[in-house]
Amino acid sequence: MFNRGSGGYTTGRKPWRSEPWRQPDAPDDSENSFALKRKIFFFGMGIFFMFGILTLQLARMQLVNGERYQNRAETNALRQVPIVPVRGLIYDRNGEPLVENKATFAAAVVAADIPGVDLISDQPCGEGCQQISIALQELTGVPAAEIEETIVARASSNDPFSPAVVKSGLSEENAFKLREQLASLPGVRVVVEPSRSYTHGALVSHVLGFVGPIDESEFDELAKGGYQLNDRIGKTGIEATYENILRGITGVRQVETDASGRDIRVIQEQPAQAGSNIVLSIDLDLQAKTEQFVREHMGTSLNAAAVVMDVHTGEILALVSLPTYDNNIFTGEVDEAALEKLLTDPGKPLLNHAITEQYAPGSTFKQITGLAALQEGVATPSTQITSLGVLYVESEIDPTIKYPFKDWSALGTLNFYRGIAMSSDVYFYYLSGGFVEGGRTVFSGLGASRLADWARRFGLGEPTGIDLPGEVTGIVPDPEWKEETIGDPWYIGDTYNMGIGQGYVAATPMQMLLVTAAIANGGEVLIPHLIKEVRTATGDVIKAKTSNVKRNLNVDPRNINVMREAMRQAVADGSATTGKARSVEVAGKTGTAEFGEQRPNGTYMEHGWFTGYAPYNNPEIAVVVFLEQGGGALSAAPAAGKILNYYFERKNAAQGSAP
Amino acid sequence: MRSWRETRPFDYIMLAAAIALTGYGLLLIYSGSINTMGTGLENLQGPTGRQLVFGVLAVMACVVVSRFDYRWLAQGSVIMYVGLIAALIFVLTIHGTAEYGSRRWINLGPFHIQPSEIGKLVVILVLARYLSDHQEDINTPRVFFTSLMIAAVPSLLVFIEPDLGSASIFLFIWLGMVIMAGASMKLVLGSIGMALAATPFAIIAVIRDYQRDRISLFLDPNKEALGDGFNILQAEISIGSGGLFGQGFTEGPQTQLDYLRTQTTDYVFSVLGEELGFIGAMILFSLYILLLTRGLRAAGMSQDVFGRLVAVGVVIFILFQTFINIAVNLRLFPVTGIPLPFISAGGSSLVTVFIAIGLLQSVVMRRNQVTL
Repeated sequence: MFNRGSGGYTTGRKPWRSEPWRQPDAPDDSENSFALKRKIFFFGMGIFFMFGILTLQLARMQLVNGERYQNRAETNALRQVPIVPVRGLIYDRNGEPLVENKATFAAAVVAADIPGVDLISDQPCGEGCQQISIALQELTGVPAAEIEETIVARASSNDPFSPAVVKSGLSEENAFKLREQLASLPGVRVVVEPSRSYTHGALVSHVLGFVGPIDESEFDELAKGGYQLNDRIGKTGIEATYENILRGITGVRQVETDASGRDIRVIQEQPAQAGSNIVLSIDLDLQAKTEQFVREHMGTSLNAAAVVMDVHTGEILALVSLPTYDNNIFTGEVDEAALEKLLTDPGKPLLNHAITEQYAPGSTFKQITGLAALQEGVATPSTQITSLGVLYVESEIDPTIKYPFKDWSALGTLNFYRGIAMSSDVYFYYLSGGFVEGGRTVFSGLGASRLADWARRFGLGEPTGIDLPGEVTGIVPDPEWKEETIGDPWYIGDTYNMGIGQGYVAATPMQMLLVTAAIANGGEVLIPHLIKEVRTATGDVIKAKTSNVKRNLNVDPRNINVMREAMRQAVADGSATTGKARSVEVAGKTGTAEFGEQRPNGTYMEHGWFTGYAPYNNPEIAVVVFLEQGGGALSAAPAAGKILNYYFERKNAAQGSAP
Repeated sequence: MRSWRETRPFDYIMLAAAIALTGYGLLLIYSGSINTMGTGLENLQGPTGRQLVFGVLAVMACVVVSRFDYRWLAQGSVIMYVGLIAALIFVLTIHGTAEYGSRRWINLGPFHIQPSEIGKLVVILVLARYLSDHQEDINTPRVFFTSLMIAAVPSLLVFIEPDLGSASIFLFIWLGMVIMAGASMKLVLGSIGMALAATPFAIIAVIRDYQRDRISLFLDPNKEALGDGFNILQAEISIGSGGLFGQGFTEGPQTQLDYLRTQTTDYVFSVLGEELGFIGAMILFSLYILLLTRGLRAAGMSQDVFGRLVAVGVVIFILFQTFINIAVNLRLFPVTGIPLPFISAGGSSLVTVFIAIGLLQSVVMRRNQVTL
């Protein structure tokens, strides 16, 4: 049957005809035919029904929601590529550049463009992704597994299109090698990362701070300000405080890209606007000398700080915190070993000890007690108190029990000037807490609340407002504070301790500097600042406010003058004679504050303080020196004296050489 | 008396619709392959050229098949069926080439043959023969379930490949053909009900992880906006952005910038949606409806049950392939990987559908043969 059939067909003699395979149905049974037509109609309806469904959905997508999809299609192919602006530079007050911008290269991946990334499979980094990771490992030395992790993490983040840096600080040679291979590595980019080079490194690192990568945790907030995950941001110091000024405005390049992320063409470009330059009030030369002098007197101190400030404007001329660190280690690839060393150093080199740590101010606090006592009428310049080297204070419960409060020496009978000049503790026990003997008030003092109030008016217990991040407030204790924090009632001894800057009271060196500056300038508590002027990229110069007064103490100028004279005597022939300077007459106050646990021999470790200003009769600058271990007169005052001497010697020399 | 020699009108309208669809497909494949193959004649080195060659071969195959008496094919259908099962097992066990994670292809030199495509026609023929042989007993469980088995065995093998889409096409073909053969609604609805009841178990027990993923992606493609969900989303964006008139032929950014994947095969409809818009899609639908109703006309004209069943089988086959493919593009259906008949680039599919058209022609041409 088949043979005949096919033979017939192939020879073409006549059309092939098979034998009927089975007898056909009887034709045209009318009922059958009706059923048949009904079924065919049913299938026909089925066809229209199914295409109807498709048409409805299509109409919904294309006609109803078409515009929405068109927008998505546009944003699909258009990418906003940020153009990182040139960061502003920072100069010292004499125009010495403190930082430079330089370009470093980094290898980065754009997760969205890496082939073979399949987040739902067991191996989200598929074959293509693995190959790229291995190739990158060879070029950068970063383990492939780590690269894969970065890719997958970025692919599942909500920003898979921006490059994620795999390795920054590539050598130029490696960057070049990588560039050559980019064609075979889809999704890999060589990005040029602007980075900072701090020309004076450790000398001004506590002022400048540094820039670093954005933390994932802070990114959400920063993204609103137009930051990209790869951007670098000021992490501390001036770099952080003036981030907005230094950063400039990110530009945007709108690029049409294909699905693998290659740029097809630039559609439009809005150039970046460079950041503004900042001129600091820091005097680099003075800064170096200040550091040198403090170092000379640091002794066994774990850390130390010194600040020099213009007493009228609040401009910081020098700000030293020791030990210091080279902020250049944070600019490129962070050297983990070096960082670890900084973090474990007992001197805490990453902290700015002038503002981020608080210490017992010791006798420097007597400036506050003294001025408060004069202004409140507790004492006059002629108030005489005798120090026998120790003051016995009767117990408030049982007058037969007496507690000894020591002076550093039996100084005899003192008036106010000598009380300050000799730094008599007994004198200030009287002024602060008064004295009761046999139930009779011999002398009524300021009392804890008034003293605390004055301390606050001088700016203790609150940030100074300096333009550096991380300031601490210090502590101004009073009865309520002690009740709340310690849970004990306030005793007269607490007032005594506060009066001489011991006990619970704590302040930063910067705060104590402001106290002295307020005495020097006639009662203005200043807001210290490091910025002098801003120079915009377009050449405009914006001067910082020259003087920023936080509060005026409104004290009688006569009382100020008494305090100045007392501080002059302290340096001239009192307890602070080591703070003398050849070139200028200095007024100042030392402090030697006990801290830590009592030693077996009954002594304590001591902080050394000196705060002072010069010239005595026409105040220009104030200085504070703090040494974590040392004596006020023994080590802090000599360092301060050298700083002041240097400053005025230089000034005199400059004036002398001028015609 | 009319003889079989009398003029047997070839349904030129049906053939014209099929060729028009193929031509339409060539345009879309051209546009979809510009980004890899370039424009103009250069482009012909790619899928467009291959499709053109297959198109010519397919039309020739269609004419040749139409010259055969379809009833002759019924005789060979059992042998072909055995061959099909063997080929499907062969694909699964010994020789399968895994592409896109499934073993559907047999490699013959430069050709990758997909036995499941031609297999659908084989099943149509075998079912038509079996059902026409047992038309009177169609409502006995034995005949009804044997017919189901004829479709279910290849369906299962294809399902294991895994190719969920093609597997379901086999069952739809069977369903259409038993309805046509006069199965009682009770049995038909009963078997549909059983299938629906079994679905949850199938999802748990039989469906593979990748299929489950595809289904969950279908429900929320944003979950994997850059992984597998990428295709689904991009297809949706492509089609939606086409609007009424489309972005213009070869002008669709989604297609031309590579956002659309497999844009000459599974997602070729998205190219059409993006570049030619709603209007372009309506033209495509019209051509399909014309072709399919001409197929139903052939079924209505056939004077024997076998021919009628073959015609209905072919119509169901083309209809469901088309529907499922477009439904995937329109996000009405999970991704399955079924080619769009006449349009998608691919020789197996194109040759198969033209052979199917040849079968329909054969039925049309021999409608009067019985009146000897």
